[in-house]
Order: sequence, then structure tokens, then C-alpha cells
Amino acid sequence: MGAPFDISYVFTFLPKLLGTLGTTLLIVGCSLLAGIIVGFLVALPRLYKVPVLKTCSEIYISFFRGTPILIQLFLFYYGLPEILKLIQVDMTRTPVLVFVILTYGLHTGAYMSEMIRAAVQAVDKGQVEAAYATGMTGVQAFTRIVLPQALGIAIPVFSNLVIALLKDTSLAFTLGVMEMTGKAQTLGSLTQHFIETYIALALIYLVISFAIEKLLLLAERRLLRHEKRSTAEIRSFKIHKNWSYRRIIAELGPGKGGAGL
Amino acid sequence: MISLTQISKSFGRHQVLNNIDLTVTKGEVVVILGPSGSGKTTLLRCVNYLEKPSDGEISIGDFKVNCKHARKKEIHQLRQKTAMVFQQYNLFRHKTALENVMEGLLIVKKLPKEEARKRSIALLEKVGLGSKLDAYPSQLSGGQQQRVGIARALALEPEVILFDEPTSALDPELVGEVLAVIRKIAKEGITMIVVTHEMGFARDVANHVVFMDGGVIVEEGTPTEVFNHPREERTKQFLKRITPELNYSI
Repeated sequence: MGAPFDISYVFTFLPKLLGTLGTTLLIVGCSLLAGIIVGFLVALPRLYKVPVLKTCSEIYISFFRGTPILIQLFLFYYGLPEILKLIQVDMTRTPVLVFVILTYGLHTGAYMSEMIRAAVQAVDKGQVEAAYATGMTGVQAFTRIVLPQALGIAIPVFSNLVIALLKDTSLAFTLGVMEMTGKAQTLGSLTQHFIETYIALALIYLVISFAIEKLLLLAERRLLRHEKRSTAEIRSFKIHKNWSYRRIIAELGPGKGGAGL
Repeated sequence: MISLTQISKSFGRHQVLNNIDLTVTKGEVVVILGPSGSGKTTLLRCVNYLEKPSDGEISIGDFKVNCKHARKKEIHQLRQKTAMVFQQYNLFRHKTALENVMEGLLIVKKLPKEEARKRSIALLEKVGLGSKLDAYPSQLSGGQQQRVGIARALALEPEVILFDEPTSALDPELVGEVLAVIRKIAKEGITMIVVTHEMGFARDVANHVVFMDGGVIVEEGTPTEVFNHPREERTKQFLKRITPELNYSI
């Protein structure tokens, strides 16, 4: 099956795939934005225990967390126009990308709301009490005291969600969207060099994921600059009598762990 | 003048406070003593509505709140007239010492930034932390954090400062520095209600000692009255347990 393996194809495919990177990032960016907004709206009733809305939020979250994203894509792409037809809305001319972003946005929103809820609840209750005792209103206490601290707590989870979303967008090709994976499919069929296209594709996803991870780690460090470093900081130490450099977690410097005995 | 009238509070069926009446005159230092579970912290937290009293009335100066039907705005106003120093310090963790003190001035009192900064620096110097303005709470010792907490409360220029066991979470060697600061501001005539287990401090600084047990005020009076000539049997028992004679034979 396919043409014999030829590594040079990986390099010719890279720029071609990168040409569609924009579409992938567009889906990621828009869905993320939608996800954050929806996430907030869904998390608030659960945080403030608003009777009916809280149940709605819970149902929404269990649907999007409990069904595969591929099924959600199909349901929205094929199902939504049918439903909207009943109320005389024609969606036949709506671009596929809209359905894709809608689905990914709602999907991410469910996870975001859980992230927000967990982060807000992780902020010490004493912080809110101190804010109230200082004379702040509920809104002031939330925006000035709770939210900035919750953001720092949420970033590791947020980082995971963004990377998961990036990789999930590879499923959008099933609806015929020409993002990176879709492009890789066509390139593969055209040249019969499937393995090479997938290697190139994997490389691109890997590099972007890595970049996102590092970028958000920086953001986390900045947002949590008030805490003693909790994210293990990797530093290089020179070990005596041995010219090699070892990488050691900062809290376990060479002076600790019995090295001085 | 601050007065609490018929304050009651229950958690479910458990009655924590039972018709408490307490009057605090301006400039007075009131120390509340009592065994744990006696409701003293709850009473203190009722004064600024961190705990919602089930019944009663709180008045500070001319301002009155009826606890049965207090409105949000009234609670907010009540809190602006009080300040609190917490057992666990509760400094805003993401803000420096200076920002912690400035926060209330900027957000609640709406002072211009320069003015707030100047006042906050002066207050931090007063509590002996002029060199730690830009330190985050995680970089300060417990005693230093609590002193920032006191500066934060002072900045608001409240009618009364509520101290909720301000030295209970501190290492023994750090208690002194915090008590010294509280002593200093007590001399300046700031009205304070202090819940504490520091008997020596209570005896020295208080003008008015209140002994609580089982959700009621058992006895109150001047430090001399309560410490040296307690009238009630329960007070005597408590004082005996908490200030044992220090003549151990080894």
C-alpha cells in the first residue's frame, strides 16, 4: 500500500500543511473564546447555587463531557439544521466552520466551567471574608480578590484544555473542513505518501502544543508570583568532582538529601 | 458608641449565642474571654455580619441594623464602619504588604492613589514593617503578616477594630511583637473588641473584660474585678484552669 517511504516528503509536506495552520488556529481561537464565555455563564449558577439554572448547567455539562466530540460534531452539523428548519430558519448556506466552532466552543465550555468552578472554590474562604470585612461589595470581592487568585490556580488545567482542543480540531476534517488534518488526508491520497504526511502533521501538532505549554507556564509563574514556587523549577547544578551538569528539581538542591554528610 | 442588643445566633438547632447585650464606649478596649465553643468568636463575627445573627440589633453611633430584616446596603454600611484582624491573618495573597493596606483605601474609601500610598506607608512604618512594603504575604513570617493585617484594619479608620484571636496561630516567639503593636494602638484610643487567650495581655490592656460561656455573658467588669475578684463560679474555674501556678516541682 502506498509509495515507498521517503523522508524528503516530510519536508515538502511541512510548508503545505502549515498553509492550513491558520484554519486550525482559527477554530482553536474562536472555540476557546466561546468556551471561556460559556464556561463562565455556566459556572456562575453552580457557584452561587441558583436553583433552576444550576440544574440546567449540570445537564449541559454531563451532555458535553459524556458524549464523544465526533458524535457532537455530527449531531450539530446534521441535526441542528433539521431542528431550525422547524422554526423556518434556513441553514443550508451556513459555512461548515460555523458548526465546527459552535460544537468545539460548547464542548470546551463544559470543561471550562468545571475548571472555573474548581479554581474559584480553591481560593481560601478567608480571602472573601477579609474582602467583606474591608467593606468591599460582593462584586468587588470577586473581581479584585477571588478572580486574580483563581486564574493562577486554573492555568495548569487551562493549559491542558487548550492542548486537548488543538488536537480535537483534527476531527473537523470529518465534516470536510480543510484544516491541517484534512489537508494531510488529501496530500496523502494525492501522493500515496501517507506515513510522511502524518509524520509532518504530528511534528506540527507537537511543536504547537509544546509552545502553548511553555507560554502558559510563563503565565502561571507570573500569576502566581506571590506564592513560593509551587511549579517545580528545573535548574542546572554543577555537581562536584564530576564535570557533568545534572538537572535537579530546585527544592532538592545538591545541599539536601544527605549530600552534605 | 457600639451596642449589641439581644443578639442571638443558632446554627440549625444549636443555639450559639443567647440574647447577648454588650455596650462598648468610644476608645474602650473590650476583651472577650471564654472557653472554646463559648460563642465569643461568633459574637465578634456577628458585629460585622460575617456571621448573620438570627435576631437582635447592632448599632454603631447613630447607625442601627435590625438583624431580623437587614438589607444588603445596611450590611455593607455596617462593614464599612468596622475592620477586622483575623486569626489566620487572611492577607490578600496576591498583593504585596503595601497593596494589602492600600486596597481598602482605593476601593472602599476611594482615595486618590498617591494619598492612599502615603497613608499606607506611614501605617506600615508604624507597625514596624517599613522595610517590607513590597513583600508578598508568603514571604513574611506569621507575626509580620499579622502586623500587616493590623495596618490594613487601621487604614480604614473604622469606628471599631475587631480582633479575632490575633495571636492564636502564631509561633510563641512571635506573639510578643503582635501584642506590642496592639498595645500601642490601644493607647491611641482606638475602640477595639478583642477575643484572645492571652491573659497577661487582657489584664494589661483591657478596660473592660467580658467572660462568656455557653453562648451567654457570664460576667463582665474591669480587669481587676474579673481577674482578681470573680463573682461567678464558672469564671473562677476558667481562670484557675487557664492561669495555673507556675511552680512545677521536678
